[in-house]
Amino acid sequence: MPVHPAQVTPAAITKKGNRHLEISWEDGHVSRYSFRHLRQKCPCAGCIDEWSNEKILAEDKVPLDLEGLKVEAVGGYALSFGFTDQHNTGIYHFGYLREICPCCHSGTNKED
Amino acid sequence: MAVDEKKIREALGQVQYPDFRKDITSLGMVESIVLSGSQVEITLKIPTPRIPSTETLRAQVIQVAEEVADVTSVVVRFKPEIPAWTSTDKTGVPGVKNIVAIGSGKGGVGKSTIAANLAVGLAKLGARVGLVDGDVYGPSIPIMMGRRSEELKQRDGKIIPIEAHGVKFMSMGFLAQGEQPLIWRGPMAHRAVQESLMNVDWGELDYLLVDMPPGTGDVHLTLVQTVALVGAVIISTPQDVGLTISMKTLKMFEQTNVKTLGLIENMSYHLCSHCGEREEIFGHGMVAREAAKMKIPFLGEIPLDVTIRRHADEGTPVISAQPEAPASRGYMKIIDRLAKEISIRAHFHKPLTIVEEPETKPQSFSV
Repeated sequence: MPVHPAQVTPAAITKKGNRHLEISWEDGHVSRYSFRHLRQKCPCAGCIDEWSNEKILAEDKVPLDLEGLKVEAVGGYALSFGFTDQHNTGIYHFGYLREICPCCHSGTNKED
Repeated sequence: MAVDEKKIREALGQVQYPDFRKDITSLGMVESIVLSGSQVEITLKIPTPRIPSTETLRAQVIQVAEEVADVTSVVVRFKPEIPAWTSTDKTGVPGVKNIVAIGSGKGGVGKSTIAANLAVGLAKLGARVGLVDGDVYGPSIPIMMGRRSEELKQRDGKIIPIEAHGVKFMSMGFLAQGEQPLIWRGPMAHRAVQESLMNVDWGELDYLLVDMPPGTGDVHLTLVQTVALVGAVIISTPQDVGLTISMKTLKMFEQTNVKTLGLIENMSYHLCSHCGEREEIFGHGMVAREAAKMKIPFLGEIPLDVTIRRHADEGTPVISAQPEAPASRGYMKIIDRLAKEISIRAHFHKPLTIVEEPETKPQSFSV
């Protein structure tokens, strides 16, 4: 399905304490992520194999009390996060963040 | 009777600035209206280094102002004030308003020559311009700018850029020692980009052009991850092969949210140095057609002209050495269009900000 640019353009990004991140998109949708969910979906080469796309990170091993300490913009297309488990290598481009929105896709953790 | 300044201001509200889809009064472009008797001097802030003579802005302003009662003559002055394309603080270079990548699909299309001429041309129009030679594998900007080897000096831990032809420039080639060819792995290229962009004392710049290595690779990725770019300019030759590959570069920029400001056709036609005849060796107009198809601005074309090469080798870009040469006139047209595209992007851009708020605790947690 083709993605409309407004669906992957953030209008506002808010870090709500150390537990949640909220992104309002240009199309009006609001995504609310727990930092644990973001950590579980980390797209870096250490968490997902670059060649086989195989998941290396065991999602259920991510501690329940995992928090987010830092949210930074990467250029003009992505965000990166610093988590309490010291992990910070994932670059989450906006399209990917929209893709892993907890409320848009069943099967992913809805609320932690 | 004396001329009413308010009436002139009102009248100026009829003049549209089409690029920003508003009139010049609501855009705050009217800097001052100075009256001396029936003579009026209007100063307009413009978002580009100049308004090309082909545009009717000046004529329109004069026309509406002259219609105001008792005005006998109108003088219009333009004062450039380049808008900045800023993102969050962390993704910019301090003091730099607009960062533009100059890319191409493959090598040998004259990308560096064009980058050098665009930079020098913008500086000639009075803009404050920086140029980064990002081609770690074959840095050629120093040759074109006439400053082949330089001992870089530092001030407060920052590299002082070299100044030539009114442009501050920095080459990643300066980071390597002597005549050694560069054999850098990804992480080194990454360091070099950061060093020659972020760790340079640029001062205040309206435009910073980054001459990219051909194709797509480590330098591109680092650049888009390090800074938010106002956009990219893609150079292509009329041969289809060149263009197909250019589209890959374009797609890469797109994937990282970098807008293509426009395409430039280089070696558009050959200009004979003996008879001045134009010969379309590779066919001509291919890039313009492709740009129209993709709804990307076509910025212009540069001929294959021996004077461009000669002046580049001699260290003075043609736009500075021979401003009246056909190539230089081609460059100036491109510069006007590019500056316009940048101003439009900067004007309509909403910067991305990350807000931090304390967590609002759900009801069940309240004590």
